[in-house]
Amino acid sequence: MAMKDSIMSNFLNLKNFDKSFDDLSSLSQLREEAFLNLKDIGIPSKRFERWKYNDLKNDIRNIEFSLCKTSIKIKKNKLDKFEINEIDYFKKNKDHYLRPLKYLKDEGVVYLNLSYSNLFKVLTIKKDLKKPIIIDIQSEGHGMSFPRILININNNVNAEIQFLNRGGLGFINQITEINIGKNSNVKISRLNESSSIHSETFFSNLGSNSEINLKNLSIPNNKSRFQVFNSFKDEYSFAEFKSVSIPYENSKDDFLVHNNHLSSNCKSDVGMRSILGKGTECSFQALIDVENKIRNSRADQDCRAILLDEKASMNAKPEMKIYNNDVICKHGTTIGSLNQEQVFYLNSRGLNKFEAEKILLQGIISEYISKNSPLINFLPEKYK
Amino acid sequence: MKNFLKIKNLSISVEDKIIIKDLNLNINKGEVHALMGPNGCGKSTLSNVLAGKEGYNITNGKISFSGENLLKFSPDERANKGIFLAFQYPVEIPGVTNINFIKTALESNRQYNGLDPLKPGDFLKLIKEKAKLLGISDENLKRQLNVGFSGGEKKRNEALQLMMLEPLLAILDETDSGLDVDAFKIVADAVNSTRSKKNSMLIITHYQRLLERIQPDIVHVFINGSIIESGGPELAEEIDKNGYERFNNV
Repeated sequence: MAMKDSIMSNFLNLKNFDKSFDDLSSLSQLREEAFLNLKDIGIPSKRFERWKYNDLKNDIRNIEFSLCKTSIKIKKNKLDKFEINEIDYFKKNKDHYLRPLKYLKDEGVVYLNLSYSNLFKVLTIKKDLKKPIIIDIQSEGHGMSFPRILININNNVNAEIQFLNRGGLGFINQITEINIGKNSNVKISRLNESSSIHSETFFSNLGSNSEINLKNLSIPNNKSRFQVFNSFKDEYSFAEFKSVSIPYENSKDDFLVHNNHLSSNCKSDVGMRSILGKGTECSFQALIDVENKIRNSRADQDCRAILLDEKASMNAKPEMKIYNNDVICKHGTTIGSLNQEQVFYLNSRGLNKFEAEKILLQGIISEYISKNSPLINFLPEKYK
Repeated sequence: MKNFLKIKNLSISVEDKIIIKDLNLNINKGEVHALMGPNGCGKSTLSNVLAGKEGYNITNGKISFSGENLLKFSPDERANKGIFLAFQYPVEIPGVTNINFIKTALESNRQYNGLDPLKPGDFLKLIKEKAKLLGISDENLKRQLNVGFSGGEKKRNEALQLMMLEPLLAILDETDSGLDVDAFKIVADAVNSTRSKKNSMLIITHYQRLLERIQPDIVHVFINGSIIESGGPELAEEIDKNGYERFNNV
């Protein structure tokens, strides 16, 4: 089936691609393995349940089949010491190259990245960070890029990381993998203001008593997909995902968050706040997975979307696969326009319609993006 | 000023149901009027219409305020012209601190009326002074607007906004409901402190107890969307003693 498909034919014909893969020859066997799986599975489309609100295959059909210019810049405090590696890391640790497949075996975009990864950054953080690390991923022009970021955080480390995904006119397919050691805590602020078709698959693997807090501000100016897979490898770990989505006009923002409670006494908390204007669409799939023998799990999901225009839409799909009774779960979704009682209350104090709506929307955003968050600077002017 | 608020032959309906019928009411500057009536007689409809809430069909009549046709103004314009509605059920606004909200409202009001914004220090001093009179702590000023507030705290907060915004016409929609005895006295005294010859009040209430502390000049009995009798404070005393039965038969 795949070979008859033009987009797949392009991917399968390596000769058409950039020659920058030369230095990856020692990984060619692993890339070939990923590539064979890609051939079987194909590029995601709506026929995959996980991608039911997104047709990536169709979206990238007209993207130029070449590599676009992409850079990953790491900015850090001079006093903070940590290792930064690139492709050499995977040449030395070949068993780490296909490690994402350990957590997700049937995902086309993961196989696609592992087949063609062309930009690598591997950070190993062994000590507490004094200041946040900024990982700035910038793309320019048409074409495709397949960045791969791996962050290993040792035991007993506190770290703060900011991701900035920006620019481009093509297709970016990124994998980010974070391994968090026991008793460690990582705070992540992620900005997505990509103008490319953007797909990022984010894996976090949590050691015992570890914590990840991911705050996301998504302002895509195209079609964007962010899928997060948190694996609770050990007990007493906690994963928080809080996202604000404000797509540009006629843009699409698609999220999937899968919390896999593989160990007992773990907690997950997922929330989405979407502000949707003309022609925008947001989708939010949140899956809680608790296996049979796992005890004392706590898992919350919460979604709120404000539709500011008749031509805006929100899809929310909460899912729970729970195979035992020792779980406390909470989920709730509200989708609608602004509360007119609240608008009138503010009007009655002298604030005009625009000011009242601004205050109400700022209030919704501030639930996840506080005044002190680095993301506040990236909010559209009218919400600052 | 005579006829500061003038309501003439006002009729209002909601989805073909007539709520207010041929209402006439004149409030002069410096006067306090009380509107008393049983549940469902249209008191809150009148207060909402005066504040400019949408969803009401004005089928007949006129409302003028300070010589201008009030009905042509949006709710925010009415507020900035000096109309203040103290809500029966103030809504919660998450994510906005009480103090920031009051500052924004005051600035909007001052800007509309061609005044410079208060200096931050002056604003802080003023709001703390007023909050203290109402027993509102600094902590409560920093809380999100009405979020998680008790009924009494919400009403105190309405009174604080009233004191800060200094409106020309305050409409108090059952401000006494949900208040315990102590809070009732505090709120009533705070409202009383705003009374002057330059402003007016329309107090909507079921009970006389509020009118014992905020003495009205005129009391109106409001039944089925119409004022059927007006008089002095003794009318409120009669209602407190005998209820609305006599008026139901008018």
